[in-house]
Amino acid sequence: MTTYNECVAQIQQILRTTVAKGEVVGEDMDLIEELGLASLDVMELIEQLEDVFDISFPINELGDVRTISDLARRVQLLTDR
Amino acid sequence: MSLLEKLEAAQRSQDVLQALGVNAIGATIDVAGSATEGDIAGNRVVLAGTNNYLGLTFDPVCVEAAVRAVRSHGTGTTGSRLANGTYACHAALETELADFLEARSAIVFTTGYVANVGVISTLAGPGDVIVLDADSHASIYEGAKLSGAEVYRFRHNDPDDLDKRLRRLGERASRTLVIVEGLYSMLGDVSPLKQICEVKDRYGAYLLLDDAHSFGTMGATGRGLAQAEGVEDQVDFITGTFSKSLGSVGGYCASRKHDINPLRAQIRAYMFTASSTPSVIASTRAALHLISRRPELRTRLWSNAKRVHSALTGLGFTLGADSSPVIATIMDSPQQAADAWQMLLDAGVYVNLVVPPGAPKNMSILRCSLSAAHTPDQISQIIDAYAVVAEHLMGRPKAVAGGSL
Ligand SMILES: Cc1ncc(COP(=O)(O)O)c(C=O)c1O
Repeated sequence: MTTYNECVAQIQQILRTTVAKGEVVGEDMDLIEELGLASLDVMELIEQLEDVFDISFPINELGDVRTISDLARRVQLLTDR
Repeated sequence: MSLLEKLEAAQRSQDVLQALGVNAIGATIDVAGSATEGDIAGNRVVLAGTNNYLGLTFDPVCVEAAVRAVRSHGTGTTGSRLANGTYACHAALETELADFLEARSAIVFTTGYVANVGVISTLAGPGDVIVLDADSHASIYEGAKLSGAEVYRFRHNDPDDLDKRLRRLGERASRTLVIVEGLYSMLGDVSPLKQICEVKDRYGAYLLLDDAHSFGTMGATGRGLAQAEGVEDQVDFITGTFSKSLGSVGGYCASRKHDINPLRAQIRAYMFTASSTPSVIASTRAALHLISRRPELRTRLWSNAKRVHSALTGLGFTLGADSSPVIATIMDSPQQAADAWQMLLDAGVYVNLVVPPGAPKNMSILRCSLSAAHTPDQISQIIDAYAVVAEHLMGRPKAVAGGSL
C-alpha cells in the first residue's frame, strides 16, 4: 500500500524535474495558479503518476484537484483499490 | 482568479505568440478562386494547410449544386432539425451517407465539433466509462467532459496501454466507450485500428471512431480508415466532418451495428441549434457523390503527399509520421517554427503553424496538408519553399532539394 506522504513526495519529485526546476514545492501549492502548470503539463504529470503507481486516473476528476495535496490524496485512494 | 483576471492571463499568453514575430494565428486569407491559391497580406500564396484533401471547394459540380439550392431553398433554414429545419435535402444526405458507409443509419449535425460533443455526451453518462486516445481532438474531450462519465486517457496509438486500462476496469469494461481518431490531424499518423478493435472486443467495450481526416482520403472507396483496415463491422459508431474532404461545413454520426435514430430526440446539440443551410447540404451531397465517381482524386492526393514527404525527408526534416496527406515537420522550438513559417510564407507557401499548447507533447510543428487539387508545379513550389527553410535554419545545402524531386 502506498501512503499519502509517498504520493506527495512523488509528485514533488516530478515537479522538481519539470516546472519547478529544483525549487522546493509545498504541499499546499496550487498547481495552476501558483506553479503555473498549463493543462498539458497537468496531463503529463498525471501520465507519469499513472506509470509510477500503475493506476488509471479519471481526468473528469481533475476539476476538483487544485493543490499537490488534493492530487496526492486522490492518487493514494486509487493505489488502494 | 476573477473573470477579468482570466482575460488578462489570456492576453498574456497571446502576447507570447505575438512575441514570436509572426501573424500566424488567425491570419486572414483571401481565397482566390481556387482550392489551392489565396492572398495573405497582399501576397499570392499556394495554400498547403487547408484540410481540403480532395480540393472540392471549387469543383464546378459542387459550386453549381450550392448555387441552385440557395436559389430554390433560400439562405438558411432558421430552425432546428426537430422543428422547421429538416428539409428533404437533409434527410436525403443522411440516406446517402448511410448508403455510402453501408451503415444502418446516419445523423447529420451542423458541424463535426457539434457531432462529437453531442454524440459522445449522450451515448455515455454517469456510471459509464470513456477511455480516449490522449491525442484526441478538443471536441472529443469536450463531449467526454459533458457526459458525466468517468474519463481515462490511454497513450496515443498504444493498444497495449488501452488493454491495461480496460483490464483495470474489470467488469466495467463492458460499459466503456473507447474513442480514437483515424488519421490524426496534427502529426498525420494513423491509428492502429485493427489492434484497437481486437483489444476492445476482448473486453466487450464499444468503439467510436472519429474519421474526420480519413473519410474520403483512405479506404478502397474512400470510406475511411475502418475500410482500409477491414474492420468496419467492428466499429460501433463513426463520427466525421464535412469540412475536410467534402469541402463544406457540417458533421455526421453513422453506425453499422446500431440504429442511432433514437438519439435525435436526446442530443441537445442536435435539437437546440439550427440545421445546416440548404446550399451547404447541396454541395456536400455533390461532393459525396464525387468521392465515389472520381477515385482518381484520392490517387492524386496520395501521390502529392508521397512526393512532398519524400522530398522533406531528403531535406533532413524530422517528420511526424509516415507518408500521409498531413505532413508535420517537427521543429526545435516555437521560435524556430515561427521563423520557418514566415520563410515559407515569404516563399509563397502557406502551412499551419502549431505551437504549444496546440500540438501534442508540447511540440512545435509546421503542418502541411496536401490536396488532390495541387498541381505538379504547386507541389514543386511547396518543396522549394521547404528547401529554403532547410538551408537557412539547418544549414543544409539546397542542392538536394528543388522542384525536380
Ligand atoms: C479529428 C477532428 N474531429 C472533429 C473536428 C471538427 O470538425 P468541424 O470542423 O466540422 O467542426 C476536426 C476538425 O477540426 C477534427 O480534426
